[in-house]
Amino acid sequence: MTISSSKMLRLVVLLVLAAFCAAQEGRSHCCSAEDRNIVQKQWSVLWHDTESSKVKSGFARLILLKLVEKKPEAKALFANVDIDHPLGGAFTAHSVRIINAIDMAINLLDNQEALDSALDHLADQHHARAGVKKEHFTAFAEIFAEALPKILDDYDNMAWKSCFEGFYGKISGKLDA
Amino acid sequence: MKILIVLAILAVFVAVTSASGCDKLQRLKVKSQWARAYSEGHDREDFSQAIWRAIFAQVPDARALFKRVGGDDTNSGDFVAHSLRVLAGLDIVISLLDQPEALQAELSHLQKQHDSRHIPDNYFAAFRLALGHVLPAQLGRCWDKKAWSDCFEVIAHGVQGH
Repeated sequence: MTISSSKMLRLVVLLVLAAFCAAQEGRSHCCSAEDRNIVQKQWSVLWHDTESSKVKSGFARLILLKLVEKKPEAKALFANVDIDHPLGGAFTAHSVRIINAIDMAINLLDNQEALDSALDHLADQHHARAGVKKEHFTAFAEIFAEALPKILDDYDNMAWKSCFEGFYGKISGKLDA
Repeated sequence: MKILIVLAILAVFVAVTSASGCDKLQRLKVKSQWARAYSEGHDREDFSQAIWRAIFAQVPDARALFKRVGGDDTNSGDFVAHSLRVLAGLDIVISLLDQPEALQAELSHLQKQHDSRHIPDNYFAAFRLALGHVLPAQLGRCWDKKAWSDCFEVIAHGVQGH
């Protein structure tokens, strides 16, 4: 069976279009339904204990402190939540706020429309903070990805990576630099 | 005379501490019951929907406050995101109930976010009543009404600032 050249051309156009869509809609292509399942399941292990707030604040505190160690200029951005006293109430509450935003995003993974809206709101909140840069999110992403397998016995690197890439892209999407 | 004064002071002290409610044990109870009710994924979305529908059924005018976040349709992506944001805030204060300093910090953070929105007290009452119905529906028998109402008062006062 031979394919006429016009049909061939149509096929090529279609394939290019499909590849383009996949690149645009990275989440539907990567972060598949099973990826989302895996991320939700592996993440939920952290919250089964009543003392989850101690886990939450402790984990998020460490990540934020590592972040400002890596990007010292970012430390000033956390002055209003008293980063100089990381064990104090203000910074503890802030740490829980950040981890809860991540928790919210993970739990919304199977409601794309609501997830987009939630991430868009987070993007606005970060846009409003002068001095927050995309590179800070890149650093955060690296630290977070390194830290997770240390507290999760079950950790599927590919699933987490593909789902979280979309998160960071969206949250930092409105930053100027 | 002196003894009378001491007794009077003691009586006031006892009255104040017992009236405040939400003691340490109640806080632990609320924390663990909340963790179960809050659940995860789709269940959490349904839990949140139930609470917000119960609120709007009581105070339909409250929808106007949520126009910007899709309040006209509780199923919309914008509103689901918003309702979960609110519950995430509630989750933070509940889970910090046993870390007083951090709890205070979070309550004043939430107070600042709500101040400019001029939310009438009866909307908070509607939220409380909605929780009071959806929580036992979610948890069945293992739900302590008194602990919840005592601790919700601490939270609502913190967010309202009065």
